[in-house]
Amino acid sequence: MSLLSRPEGMREERSEEARESGAGPDGCGCGGNSAAGSGCPSSSPEAGLGMTSRRDFLKVVGVTGAGAAVACGPPDYGDKLIPLLVQEDERVPGVSDVYATAVVVGPEPLGLHAHLREGRVIKLEGNPDAPNSGRLSALAQSSLQDLYDPDRVPGPRKRRDGGDAGGDQAGGNQADGDGAAAAGFVEAGWEEGIAALGGATQGGGVVLLTGASPTARDRFFEEWAAATGAEHLRWEPLEYEAARAANEIAFGRREVPSYEIERADAVACFGADFLGTWLSPVQLATRFAEARDVDHGRHAKLTFVGPRLSVTGLKADEWVSCGSGAEGAVALAVAAVVAERRGGAGELNGLLSRYSPETVAAEIGVSADAIRTLGEELAAASAPIAIPPGFEGQGEGATQAHLAVAILNQVLGAIGERVRFGSAPRSGPIASISTMAGLIDRMRSGAVRTLLVADANPAFTLPKALGFRDALAQVANSASLSPHLDETAAGCSWILPSNHALESWGEVDFGGGPTGVAQPLMPPVFDTRQTEDILIQIAAAGGVELGGGADFATWLKDAARRRRAEEGAAEDFEEWWRSELASGGLIGRERETEQPTLDPALAGYSFSEPAMPEGTALVVYPTVQFYDGRGANRSWMQELQDPVTRAMWNSWVELSPQTAEELGVSNGDLVEVSSEAGSVTAPAFVYRGIRPDTVAIPLGQGHTAYGRNARGRGVNPLDLLPGTADRLSGALAFAGTGVTLRATGERGRLVILQGSDSDHGREITELISVEEALAAERGHEVDLGELVQAAYDSDPNSPYRWGMTVDLNACTGCAACVTACYAENNVPTVGEKVSAQRREMSWIKIDRYFVDTEDGGFQTVQQPMMCQQCGDAPCEPVCPVYATYHTAEGLNAQVYNRCVGTRYCANNCPYKVRRFNWFEYEFPYPLNLQLNPDVTVRQKGVMEKCTFCVQRVNRAKNRAKAEGRLVGDEEFRTACQQTCPAGAIKFGNLKDADSEVSRQSRNPRGYHVLDELYTRPGVTYLADVTHAALPAADHGGHGDPGDHADAAAGGEHEAGDPV
Amino acid sequence: MATLAREVESTYPTLADANEDISRPILVPAWRYAFVLSLAIGGVLLGAAAWIYQIVVGIGVAGINHPVGWGIYITLFVFWVGIAHSGTLISAILYLFRSGWRTTINRAAEAMTIFAVMTAGLFPLIHLGRVWYFYWLMPYPSQRMIWPDFRSPLVLDVFAVGTYFTISLIFWYTGLIPDLASLRDKFRGWRSRLYGMLSLGWTGSVREWMHYRRAYLYMAAIATPLVLSVHSVVSWDFALSIVPGWHSTIFAPYFVAGAIFSGVAMVITLMVGLRYAFGLEAYVTEHHFENMAKLLLLTSLIVGYAYAVEYFLAYYSADPIEQESFLWRARGEYRGPFWIMVFCNVVVPATLWFRKIRRGIPALFAISVFVNIGMFYERFVIISGSLAHEYLPSGWGLYTPSAVEIAIMIGSFSWFYMWFLIFAKTLPTLSIAEVKEHLEHERSHGHAAGAER
Repeated sequence: MSLLSRPEGMREERSEEARESGAGPDGCGCGGNSAAGSGCPSSSPEAGLGMTSRRDFLKVVGVTGAGAAVACGPPDYGDKLIPLLVQEDERVPGVSDVYATAVVVGPEPLGLHAHLREGRVIKLEGNPDAPNSGRLSALAQSSLQDLYDPDRVPGPRKRRDGGDAGGDQAGGNQADGDGAAAAGFVEAGWEEGIAALGGATQGGGVVLLTGASPTARDRFFEEWAAATGAEHLRWEPLEYEAARAANEIAFGRREVPSYEIERADAVACFGADFLGTWLSPVQLATRFAEARDVDHGRHAKLTFVGPRLSVTGLKADEWVSCGSGAEGAVALAVAAVVAERRGGAGELNGLLSRYSPETVAAEIGVSADAIRTLGEELAAASAPIAIPPGFEGQGEGATQAHLAVAILNQVLGAIGERVRFGSAPRSGPIASISTMAGLIDRMRSGAVRTLLVADANPAFTLPKALGFRDALAQVANSASLSPHLDETAAGCSWILPSNHALESWGEVDFGGGPTGVAQPLMPPVFDTRQTEDILIQIAAAGGVELGGGADFATWLKDAARRRRAEEGAAEDFEEWWRSELASGGLIGRERETEQPTLDPALAGYSFSEPAMPEGTALVVYPTVQFYDGRGANRSWMQELQDPVTRAMWNSWVELSPQTAEELGVSNGDLVEVSSEAGSVTAPAFVYRGIRPDTVAIPLGQGHTAYGRNARGRGVNPLDLLPGTADRLSGALAFAGTGVTLRATGERGRLVILQGSDSDHGREITELISVEEALAAERGHEVDLGELVQAAYDSDPNSPYRWGMTVDLNACTGCAACVTACYAENNVPTVGEKVSAQRREMSWIKIDRYFVDTEDGGFQTVQQPMMCQQCGDAPCEPVCPVYATYHTAEGLNAQVYNRCVGTRYCANNCPYKVRRFNWFEYEFPYPLNLQLNPDVTVRQKGVMEKCTFCVQRVNRAKNRAKAEGRLVGDEEFRTACQQTCPAGAIKFGNLKDADSEVSRQSRNPRGYHVLDELYTRPGVTYLADVTHAALPAADHGGHGDPGDHADAAAGGEHEAGDPV
Repeated sequence: MATLAREVESTYPTLADANEDISRPILVPAWRYAFVLSLAIGGVLLGAAAWIYQIVVGIGVAGINHPVGWGIYITLFVFWVGIAHSGTLISAILYLFRSGWRTTINRAAEAMTIFAVMTAGLFPLIHLGRVWYFYWLMPYPSQRMIWPDFRSPLVLDVFAVGTYFTISLIFWYTGLIPDLASLRDKFRGWRSRLYGMLSLGWTGSVREWMHYRRAYLYMAAIATPLVLSVHSVVSWDFALSIVPGWHSTIFAPYFVAGAIFSGVAMVITLMVGLRYAFGLEAYVTEHHFENMAKLLLLTSLIVGYAYAVEYFLAYYSADPIEQESFLWRARGEYRGPFWIMVFCNVVVPATLWFRKIRRGIPALFAISVFVNIGMFYERFVIISGSLAHEYLPSGWGLYTPSAVEIAIMIGSFSWFYMWFLIFAKTLPTLSIAEVKEHLEHERSHGHAAGAER
């Protein structure tokens, strides 16, 4: 084996024989991760630190030899360089190794295919066999930046004697290297730390505070706590305890069901951002796209009930605006209408009779008509489904709101059909707010002597009002096992940094049976160890043997061996284990479970009055880019334009146009939001999609530590929460806090690059009615034959003309494509200041346009915009040096090293998709290890743009050529297409009339943006489809530009100087 | 008229005066001159430092961005190319038309042309992202057999501006030869040797004069089409694109008229200064200024007409995007520059309908400065304003110049004035030979006739 531990079971691009001969049979004992776990002394803790250049890394990659590998921890990059005289069978320079693994990203377990080049992970793609069907979210794509985060804690650290505990000064000068030193930590040895904590775990008062995830790690924590006598608490800010509690009341099952939206023909969402951050957004986006597959005659109407339009809300056909906290009441009223229409709801009749639309409407200020219409639509649908409230609506009555939606689903007949129990991923119970408050009290009083924190950052994710941070300083022995110097780590006395998930062993529960196996993809980048191994070693130091003293990899494998034995499998275990690792685990073996029925006792259930705050209500919500704050140090996520607001690099306060007018503020003006618990000041964002009595602040910013990109940026809205909880489940209440607003009169910096929210009638976006889409009688604007044959488009002798289609009806604006593109194409991030100068580099961006509807509301079209690879491209003839030219296959090639930087091509591009390197952008170590060797890193002064992933095109062509054939349809995918959760993007050869992309291009919904310019784009957009009533005046749903400008005035932000 | 003629007569210089008056500044040491020249050199150094900083750090130090990829630099490029136009117009076209009044201003105007082209030529380099590869725009023999793309207007620019510079330089130098000989004769020592060398051994024989006049005439004929071609080609930098606000067939005549307009304004600005500084009131008279003012008025009318036609074409195209772009130009964020442009280029020059103003030097000077400012804004409005508001509404965005751009702008003006100051101190700022010829002509044909011409 090589020095670098090799993940098992390589896939793709490798013949079966090679795998058989190449991979070592033992998947556990070899390599760096487990060696680290064995306690092997690392000769130099610095060895893996920030000094290694790419060159050194490649040298190390070149090292082979079992002798070096077996005994030592990975970071020993010293004097044992042996040139790669004999090429390893498996590793071909220039060819990706693909390994399967599984991770939990935010809320969602995801199966991965990790692409490795020369021993390092450079790209993550979904495992097609996993429930995420090969697709990933933006957050998952960006976990690479988490892995290669330059601000990770490079090795074990202890607090300097007399060093201040507390995160405020943490990471004082992280850009220069070791942030931990600045935060008052000094280097320490692993043995020292483990011995110290081993001693501290003896004698009681030990608490293990962890995150929660549907993984073997979760079970291991339990086991560890049981063995050492420690108390185990799980804390996650964004969890589903309220849903679990509600389902326990309703169905006797304390779990979250899975929502099979693809089988629905009408969807009522009561607030959950299921396309963005709720439950399993990747899977749900796939399902939702299927339910709206208008080309196959279906288009489930989505009605969104809630105070603010989230990613999901913007996709909705109709918005029933209701105050946060009132969702449950609306659900009950809707259920009452459905029951009335469908001739009663059995034993629930009595309960529902109290919730007529009129009664509820009067109580919570929602139009009774809207409720009645929604109820009637759902009643008329053959397969309706209701989605419960999300975090935005999680207030003191959260459980009851979930319960109300469960009742609605029952009335709709969705329970057991489209809402199925027993197939969602499971993790252990989350500590309630009162439990956490109790813990904080005990920490303060000294009753908690030792606190170990893993996979959680309570100092950031608990409301400040609870005082976790101060209490942490009172704990005698505290240790963080976080890979990052997060707020909690900054307050601990020890930091024993753990491996990143991609460097770790593990097992992930996909729900309902399938289990994914996670394997380390490469040796740790820094001097870190697997979380479980650290705990095993701490326990051992404290005199407790776990799992026979072996490391976690053995623990995991032994558990699997036992399970196999129980199942009575005849196959050789090692053989099976290898195939398991190769495939990514026991994937796709979903089993049917018995579905529960509604508890009849619910008929007598008494709901409390909806609790809505006086005055302005605060809504705190997670974003696709930061989730609960864990994405905040990833520059890809900071620079991602928020799908809703299009803002980047900051926090903002969403205000309705009315509120903004009352306060006299516009986008970027600083607004102070105060509650009883505190106040925060952030730039205003004037948003049409929020109620006038509500303001919203996204979660995830406002870090005081965590790294160079996160620290000191934006505000943490949790500072405003008093720390109240849902009455029944104890989950943190994100909603229901009353706030007051004050315009400070100052300007903040809110970077929003989208120039206008309206397409001004230019038919950039097309939005058509469902009737029109289903009738498919629309005049077809794209003549594919003409497109392909046109003289300039491609060489008539070339068998290829690459093209793409983007289905705006499917696109949710989740931005996974954007992040995948950053990862695949070495697109640099430029930082807030340069972004504010309108110089971000994304090759594919998502434009969000509002379209006014007949009833005074609006619809949103999310439009991914990338180089259109025009057949007759305006950029080409203006380049004086042929740096941009047309290839025989119809691509607009950009020759970076020929470009002199006149920028004329960008000026002349009507789609504004070219990006210029205004400066030399850097990839600080170890982020440079992520760079894709197939793609040039561009110099300053050079133009760049989307290439249709030309490196993938060429790889496929080379393979096809070697095999003497043409590239087949869907043989490869572009990075954006590959990751798109909604499957909105299709790519392929337009000259092949049977290819998927050709078929899609002939779709009657197809159109070309600005086709009056006769640029003949290679990208065909398929019109968005809505149930909303569109203005009759204009075929494409575009009103008079003037109307747009007036109506959009609230949301309109002329780009100008955003500073 | 009669009063005026008497005035002219009373101050009318002799031929010897002309020699003396025009070449006097070369010898007279002046601390004011040194001070102004050092200011100009300081400005050049500032601009150079800014450019070096920009090369080292990246062109991002300028304020240009996405979508406004061209800002002050290209604005200044067009501005200076425009300034360069009146020189050739005055020397070549007016020479061919035998407009006698050109004689006192043509030398300075030609010098201005050369220096303006020298300034303009810097900007295509300054605005490059990778200036160290600027030579890729030239068709030089390369072993890689890569040529520039001759379809690109930027390559046409290289040729157009290069040709213009070459012809203008030769034309100017040709005109200088007899004067250089005068200077050679006037001075002793190294100056004499220097001017002698530069005068190419001019003796002033009839034969020489005959050939010289013929050559000058042909040079004028060759240079004349350039007046129309250069700025037409420069305008194609924009007209050949598809950007709304750029893509227009009227651009060539519109730009040429604008160029002459701005060039004449700059000549007035410079001549007023020169006349005041070197006491040339006797040679550069109100009569000359009035003629230039008429040219200014004429071109102002053409430019104003072009503005109106642009709007008419936008309306007549029935293209909503084009229409929206032009409405935005007048109503959007860049309405300030737009209305400054209209005020300076159309409203202010309209005062030139009054003869008093045409002949009032201070007023004329003020108007010429207004026109210069207005023409700068015109280019800004066309270039950056159009880019800021293109087809894709999501891609709309504004541009604000950065300190580096301002420094380079100051540097460019300083660079221009530096050369002009050096010129004014080393070469005759009026064409001695032509002035003499003209004086002789005036004497023999009477003043009134001359004044009327």
